[in-house]
Amino acid sequence: MLEYTNKIQEIAKKILSEGKVDMVIGFRKGTIPMMSEPCFVTDADGVGELSFDSNCGSNLANYIMDRKEKIGIVAKGCDSRNIVNHIIENKIKREQLYIIGIPCRGMVDRHAVGAALGGEILEAVENADSLVVKGVDGEATYSLVDMLQDNCKTCTHRNPVIVDEMVADKVEEQQDTNPYEDVKKIEALSPEEKTAYFDELLSPCIRCYACRNACPLCYCPTCFVDESRPQWLGKSQDITDVKTFHFLRAYHCSGRCTECGACENACPMGIKVRQLTKKLNMDCLETWGWEAGLTVDARPALDQYNLNDPEEFIK
Amino acid sequence: MTVIKIDKTEFASGLEKLKGSNKLFSPAKKGKDFEFAKLDAGEVPDLEGCRNTGMSPKSLIYPQSETMFEYTTEEADPDANLMKDVEKDYAPRVVVGLRPCDAYSFKLVQRNFESPEYRDPYWADSYEATAFISIACSQPYSTCFCTTAGCGPFHEEGSDIILAEDGDGYIAKAVTEKGEKLLADAGWATTAEGGEDKFASLKKAAEEKVTSSIDISKVRDMAILDLYEADFWEKEAFACINCGTCTFVCPTCWCFDIQDENKGKEGVRMRNWDSCMFPLFTVHGTGHNPRDQKYMRLRQRYMHKLKYYVDKYEDDVLCTGCGRCIRMCPVNIDIRRICDKMNSYVKA
Amino acid sequence: MSDWEPKIVSFFCNWCTYGAADLAGVSRMEHPPNTRVIRLPCSGRVSPKFILAALRQGADGVWVSGCHPGDCHYIEGNYYARRKFNLMKNLLEHMGLEPGRVQFSWISSAESTKYVQVINEVIETVRKLGPAKDFVKDKPKVD
Repeated sequence: MLEYTNKIQEIAKKILSEGKVDMVIGFRKGTIPMMSEPCFVTDADGVGELSFDSNCGSNLANYIMDRKEKIGIVAKGCDSRNIVNHIIENKIKREQLYIIGIPCRGMVDRHAVGAALGGEILEAVENADSLVVKGVDGEATYSLVDMLQDNCKTCTHRNPVIVDEMVADKVEEQQDTNPYEDVKKIEALSPEEKTAYFDELLSPCIRCYACRNACPLCYCPTCFVDESRPQWLGKSQDITDVKTFHFLRAYHCSGRCTECGACENACPMGIKVRQLTKKLNMDCLETWGWEAGLTVDARPALDQYNLNDPEEFIK
Repeated sequence: MTVIKIDKTEFASGLEKLKGSNKLFSPAKKGKDFEFAKLDAGEVPDLEGCRNTGMSPKSLIYPQSETMFEYTTEEADPDANLMKDVEKDYAPRVVVGLRPCDAYSFKLVQRNFESPEYRDPYWADSYEATAFISIACSQPYSTCFCTTAGCGPFHEEGSDIILAEDGDGYIAKAVTEKGEKLLADAGWATTAEGGEDKFASLKKAAEEKVTSSIDISKVRDMAILDLYEADFWEKEAFACINCGTCTFVCPTCWCFDIQDENKGKEGVRMRNWDSCMFPLFTVHGTGHNPRDQKYMRLRQRYMHKLKYYVDKYEDDVLCTGCGRCIRMCPVNIDIRRICDKMNSYVKA
Repeated sequence: MSDWEPKIVSFFCNWCTYGAADLAGVSRMEHPPNTRVIRLPCSGRVSPKFILAALRQGADGVWVSGCHPGDCHYIEGNYYARRKFNLMKNLLEHMGLEPGRVQFSWISSAESTKYVQVINEVIETVRKLGPAKDFVKDKPKVD
């Protein structure tokens, strides 16, 4: 995806100098290997800052809510689905946006690369389908496909669903992926085992809220965590509070989550927080055939209904 | 101060002796990183495997959630409606295998918790009960910039004993009285010949490996308001998602929030780490928030570390250069880059 | 625990189940006293926060009841609620809450007989499960 950088810069330069947009939101190269930083450019001469590689796992839709400018935005498949969400939820107007579409081949999980390398990544060079990383004890080459983020491995919407200009031809979508395999495994457990599983999964949480804040869906002016009258949950490391937080955070994403993986990518403790949102996504898909953010013409799963929706669980 | 050579067997048996009258903590692999954990009898810490822990050892002295008082409103209880101190365990503790920068961080934090005017009993008692056996860095991260942040890979201030890896053992240097006593308690006694020189040469080699740096030479003389009103903050803060990662992983971030929690007639008053990155940190009872934009919150963090603290205590930065915030930030906000923006800022 | 009685927090829609409970009462229909009723304008008003709050504060079970589909006083509130409850219940149970801790029903204001039948069912299911364990907030366990 390295060749995308030039094209992104070219498009950004064009739309900025033509006055089509006031700013372009994209990525710039990070200060450490395998990192990118979301950034914006307002000047056609400054587009050289923009770059794109397989380390752009942040979701840029997170940076456009309630903005008044005309914005050019670099969007992978998942980002574009979150842009659709924002349009539906009136967080931005379609006319404000010039969407620079990225046909995405998946983002690399830097934690996985770090774990495979067994230490700090000192240097990383990305090639067309491989990654050469240098660590303290030498060099290693990995295939990009093997090092993808979990969500990217099973992604079926790699091409943007809403776009003004693509940086390259569409990529082939993955078929027959099995994204909910691990959810099904958990479902097979007994209630006690499930409790133990989630206690274990969530106990390293430090309540930094990176998962919430990295998520473009989380934009409430006051999050339930910060509400004090009534106070829905405590602020300590008590596991019940931690679980309550994660339950409600996930639930607030139901019918809206696009599996972009920004939450997991952001977690400093490496918690697989998508174990919760995935269950909701699976239920949305299996119960109502719903996948979030595919079209601006349909209301999200919890903002619509059918007269004959399943209700076996209701007496 | 005593400098001795300890081989690995002696080291392990010494730790066992210390476990008799101390609780020991050391890095242990947990999840994707090493984290501090209690060292049980028979366990030997993996000091070579851990370059540094994911979280700093801050929580050993200052837990993320700490109960201070408890109360009951049950009238039948003679102590009804009284805030009572929670019983605390301040039995002697030894932290083994923390890095010198982390040991030094407690000295910075001490300014806040134990000043001539005010003493935070929980932090201070806990700190007093703890001894630190740090292990010098021979392999700093590329994000480490300790040598320009007031300490270094062999920095001694804050440690009671500092170990340096040397072949099949360690050179141990007692830095404080407490450290001398620990050496004696552990039965580590042999004096190392030429240990002091070896220590100095290892130190020099390690310091050369720290290639990253910050520079606040110009920040010191800048007017606070000029920096505060500088034009780069909004651009630098753009990517920031205002999570608490940088503050929670930071060994020198000390802010907390006090909460009462009750169930029925029983309740506790506790404190939890807070973060200046959160809007709730500054929101007033009226609903007004003086730091209602994210760039203001980001500015607060870096101004505090690199300017306010420096001015107030006429000292170095409130940062040890451990680089955790750089490595852990989900969106690559880099304190070195921000410091550079601050230091090179010229008022228009 | 032999004298333990389940405590149920019930969220009832004002226009139906709340009326049914009232009708059951004035009709002198005997039913157990284990529920604490919270009256809401519509089952669509029920937020997952309410259910979590009830469990956290020590409810052994939560029972949400509203109008039959098609009968909503606000035309479609219970249709939205139905979707919401579906996901909510599934996720709670996915995280380890026992099936039966949180229950739902549609009971119109005329169905006092159904009301009595369901309240018994709800209580007996929870009684079999025993006191709640998940999501119960006790004194913080932190040190």
